[in-house]
Amino acid sequence: MTEDVRVGVFVCDCGSNIAGVVNVPEVVEYSRGLKNVVFADEGKWSCSVDALSAMQESIKEHEINRVVIASCTPRTHEPLFKATVKGAGLNPYLLEFVSIREQVSWVHMNEPEVATEKAKDLVKMGVAKAILLEEGEEIRLPVGRECMIIGGGMAGMNAALNIADQGFNAIIVEKEPVLGGLLNRISTISHDREQIPASEIVKKRVELVEAHPNIKVYTGAEIESVKGYIGNYRVALKGNGNGSGPAFEVSTVIVATGMKEMEPAGQFEYGKDPRVITQLQLEDKLKNNDLGGIKNVVVINCVNSKNETRGCCSIGCPVSVKNALAIKEINSDINVHILYRDLSMIRQEGEALEKAKAAGIRFVRFPDDRYPDVMSDNGELGVRVYDVLIGRDFTMPSDLVVLTTGFMGDDTVDQIKGHLKVSSNADGFFQERHVKLGPLDFPADGISLCGCAKSPKTFKESCEEGIGAAMRVSIPMNKGFIEAEGIVADINLADCNACGLCYKRCPYNAIELDADKNPRVIKALCKGCGLCAADCPKECITIVHYSDEQILAQVEAALEENPAKKIIAFVCHWCALGGVDMAGVSRLQYPANARLIRVMCSARVSIRMVEHAFKLGAAGVLVAGCEFPTCHYITGNYAAETRLKRAKKKLARDGYDPEKLWNVWCSAADGPKFAKTMRDMVKALELE
Amino acid sequence: MSDSILVIGGGIAGINCALNAARYGTKVYLMDDTPSIGGMMARLDKTFPTNDCSICIEAPQMYEVDNESNIEILTNTEVRKVKKTAAGFEVRLIKKAKFIDEEKCTGCGACIEACPVSIPDEMDGKIGGTRKLIYMAFPQAVPNKAVLDPECRYGRMRENGSCVGGCVVDCSQCRECPIALCVKACQKEGKDAVRLWQANQNLNIDVKSIVVASGILSAEPPDGLYGYNQYANVITNLQFERLMNAGGPTAGQIIRPSDQKHAKKIGWIQCAGRGLTKGVPYCSKVCCMIAAKQVIITKEHDSSVETTIFYNDLKAYGKGFWGFYQKAVENGVRYVRARPYDAFEDPETRNIKIRYEDLDTGNLAEEEFEMLVLSTGLIASDRNERLAKVLNIELDELGFFREKSPMLAPLETNVEGIYLCGGATGPIDISESVVQACAASMKAILTA
Repeated sequence: MTEDVRVGVFVCDCGSNIAGVVNVPEVVEYSRGLKNVVFADEGKWSCSVDALSAMQESIKEHEINRVVIASCTPRTHEPLFKATVKGAGLNPYLLEFVSIREQVSWVHMNEPEVATEKAKDLVKMGVAKAILLEEGEEIRLPVGRECMIIGGGMAGMNAALNIADQGFNAIIVEKEPVLGGLLNRISTISHDREQIPASEIVKKRVELVEAHPNIKVYTGAEIESVKGYIGNYRVALKGNGNGSGPAFEVSTVIVATGMKEMEPAGQFEYGKDPRVITQLQLEDKLKNNDLGGIKNVVVINCVNSKNETRGCCSIGCPVSVKNALAIKEINSDINVHILYRDLSMIRQEGEALEKAKAAGIRFVRFPDDRYPDVMSDNGELGVRVYDVLIGRDFTMPSDLVVLTTGFMGDDTVDQIKGHLKVSSNADGFFQERHVKLGPLDFPADGISLCGCAKSPKTFKESCEEGIGAAMRVSIPMNKGFIEAEGIVADINLADCNACGLCYKRCPYNAIELDADKNPRVIKALCKGCGLCAADCPKECITIVHYSDEQILAQVEAALEENPAKKIIAFVCHWCALGGVDMAGVSRLQYPANARLIRVMCSARVSIRMVEHAFKLGAAGVLVAGCEFPTCHYITGNYAAETRLKRAKKKLARDGYDPEKLWNVWCSAADGPKFAKTMRDMVKALELE
Repeated sequence: MSDSILVIGGGIAGINCALNAARYGTKVYLMDDTPSIGGMMARLDKTFPTNDCSICIEAPQMYEVDNESNIEILTNTEVRKVKKTAAGFEVRLIKKAKFIDEEKCTGCGACIEACPVSIPDEMDGKIGGTRKLIYMAFPQAVPNKAVLDPECRYGRMRENGSCVGGCVVDCSQCRECPIALCVKACQKEGKDAVRLWQANQNLNIDVKSIVVASGILSAEPPDGLYGYNQYANVITNLQFERLMNAGGPTAGQIIRPSDQKHAKKIGWIQCAGRGLTKGVPYCSKVCCMIAAKQVIITKEHDSSVETTIFYNDLKAYGKGFWGFYQKAVENGVRYVRARPYDAFEDPETRNIKIRYEDLDTGNLAEEEFEMLVLSTGLIASDRNERLAKVLNIELDELGFFREKSPMLAPLETNVEGIYLCGGATGPIDISESVVQACAASMKAILTA
């Protein structure tokens, strides 16, 4: 390094929160003696406005170009100090945060000397890393204002309208000859007490879409190929006949491919007897007001649902009640039985149930493991059902049997999965980024999903999802760019053997391969988890701000003295550090042997890092990540777990005791778990 | 015209609405009438159907809100007056005193340690949760500042030993109060952030649109229901959630309120109070999955605990929910389709005996549990009525905000420019709230 590295260390008292336990002046004095440290100071409240401006003054006055702040926790205060450093004219990535409150003073309250030693170690580790810090920068990727919406059903049309209303361009690609999707096959839709003919809704919505100057619609169109990523998708549609189809470029994509009803072929005489139909086929009859001269209708719910392979169809119960009422409305003399397992009628749907009962619709509950039999003999159609309430079988005559069947994703799902590099479940429903907090996103930026493409939804929910998905893709389109934090992967191609592992393993599709299979990081898409770097067999990937070199320097600094008494703990920034902080806030006391090294994801921790700690004589190594199934990087903790198993084997081969490598998957609420792990480890490693 | 929007309610719906709008480039006022954003989700242990830890996924979003320059967080704040104008809305807010100088407070907790009075925590009272009169809403609170209970400030806690009880002069010179322990503790830390004289603050803002994300409440059991008010070991499913939570009052120990012993046999009653005059009259849809989650977690804590769920109709309406139910069954949970009649306490063991009709067999049965959990359902927030009045929007007969046309104009109200999301619209789960939050933010932005 040619640059003159000048480290400044700022140690916070946090009133008496830190200074009441840790001998801060001693830590400051110790810091002054560390390599490259040109300035060290104590602050009563480092986060107070006056302290922050004093810090900026010191940075300028002493020409500090690396800053170490030893205070509370980076989870809450790192942005503040980053901004401060930036305000002093330094690159904010030249800051290293050391946590001596949550990790020291609050958890070793009764051992001031031990705590002070640990604080010194942590500062030393911080300085060791800081010396190696490099400038980072947020990486921007331009994003235009065109969005492709795959699927022109209700969700897709809502998405398109909301995008177009902002002045952006929406391109709908619909494989059917007309827009409207599943709604084209439905008679009426209802919610609470409102009921509207589906055709009316479709007509109005299609008019709006077709009249909108910012919406372009391709019907009867299928996708030939999609190349690129957010900001530069290149789409080609299949041609009609021999020629190639239209091609266009978009910046974002919304998947709104809807769902289809499952064919209950071979079940309940379906396909054999034309009087056995599905709910969608009934909708068709209701639309045409054509029930024929039927007298007895039997509806069987949960067909192909709630079994070993498939869950609740989500909408069958209210649909069966709605359609039963519609039958009664056409002819109140028709007997309608609904055979069900559980009636899933929520909120005001309960009123429809009451209304149905009042209209004379009969409800019969059958057992989960004993479905009704449909019998078609000599022209007679009958249904035998075991009524749970009465406790016996009985048979009812029927001239129409309606099967409320489950749903699955559209036929095009497999192709789209390939085009967009996204995944789906066994039923062809696309997998969202996060079940709870990422319901409209795919893992990769710039692609959203909505409506029944994800799972069966009600009409209202599909509309809301369409509008919501429009919002998700509009954020980068309105800003004109996406921005990634500077913590990203960087591949040194000199050592790369083009194995393609990084490309395959990246959860965000942020690595692409060129014609020679050389990987390239699309930095704006990289989230910096470090999974690729830790798995790279040639060790030619580095993560800015969490490089091998920097992390190994922390390990070395930690183990410089008394390594046999120390545990190196690699802790993920999200949940595990949350658990550490929670233990701190809760003032849970635990042994002070661990020296924590923060990584963004437990998947960043490579076997080399673990082995390096043992080589230097560490008593033990802990890898702490998010509690399953939570992971900020989707599945990083799973990857870490797999790797740790390999690490143990390698450690054994290399003559180290694999039992000294521990892991804990710890939620951000679980301070007690982290504290207990520390106690257990210290005991098992006989460090007491 | 103002380009800002106001989001009322800082739960998971409000947070997502605000984050989306702010990242789009819109200035957002995110308002909550409690001391911290986070809402119901911040109190939960896990979320179904994945058992993701609730605060683990919510706290990062809360910090993002805190660091987002386009969002102004207004906690402890209520809406007083809203006037619709041609350009949008003139809103008067009142920021209730926290009796803390938020600029100076660093959330260090010295004042909390110094406070001599512990009172039952609002949500965790029955299971032994307490807080001080000066307190932090919860450890991950945003903003991470202390708040002082006005009951203390106005001397209403003197009997409980509140330190200002020593104040005999009522001199109105709290500015230099030499008595209050929290003030002294804070001064000792060199901060002087406790402000016993702080007044409420009026705040006038202009916005182009408003999103109501006022959330939902877990229903309290009606009087006399399964002995909830009489017996210590009958609790609600929300209280059970707090028991499971490592960050809750028992540090995740599933122990009985009566004797702090680990409960080895626990029963859940679904649809508790449903159909009774004072009970929730409708299906809240999430309770079945909440119960499945709670038994799975209970079994994870201690697989020897016997768990029974008494239910009517199983609601497994969402993606992955059925598999989650099956997981509960695989874990050895007993599901009994039943209608429990009543509950009695054994005065010696404090166990709860219930009598029920097994709906599959028609048999009457009696069974004893060490703890009974009532799944009471979700009801409209008690703030809705006042909010509806101030905003001039309508409530439905259940107390939720009425959508203009749920199918044709979802999330819109009868006032143009006011939108809804999350629990404000009815019983809802987290992912649905997030979806609605995204949609509502889109509508709020598109408001001309």
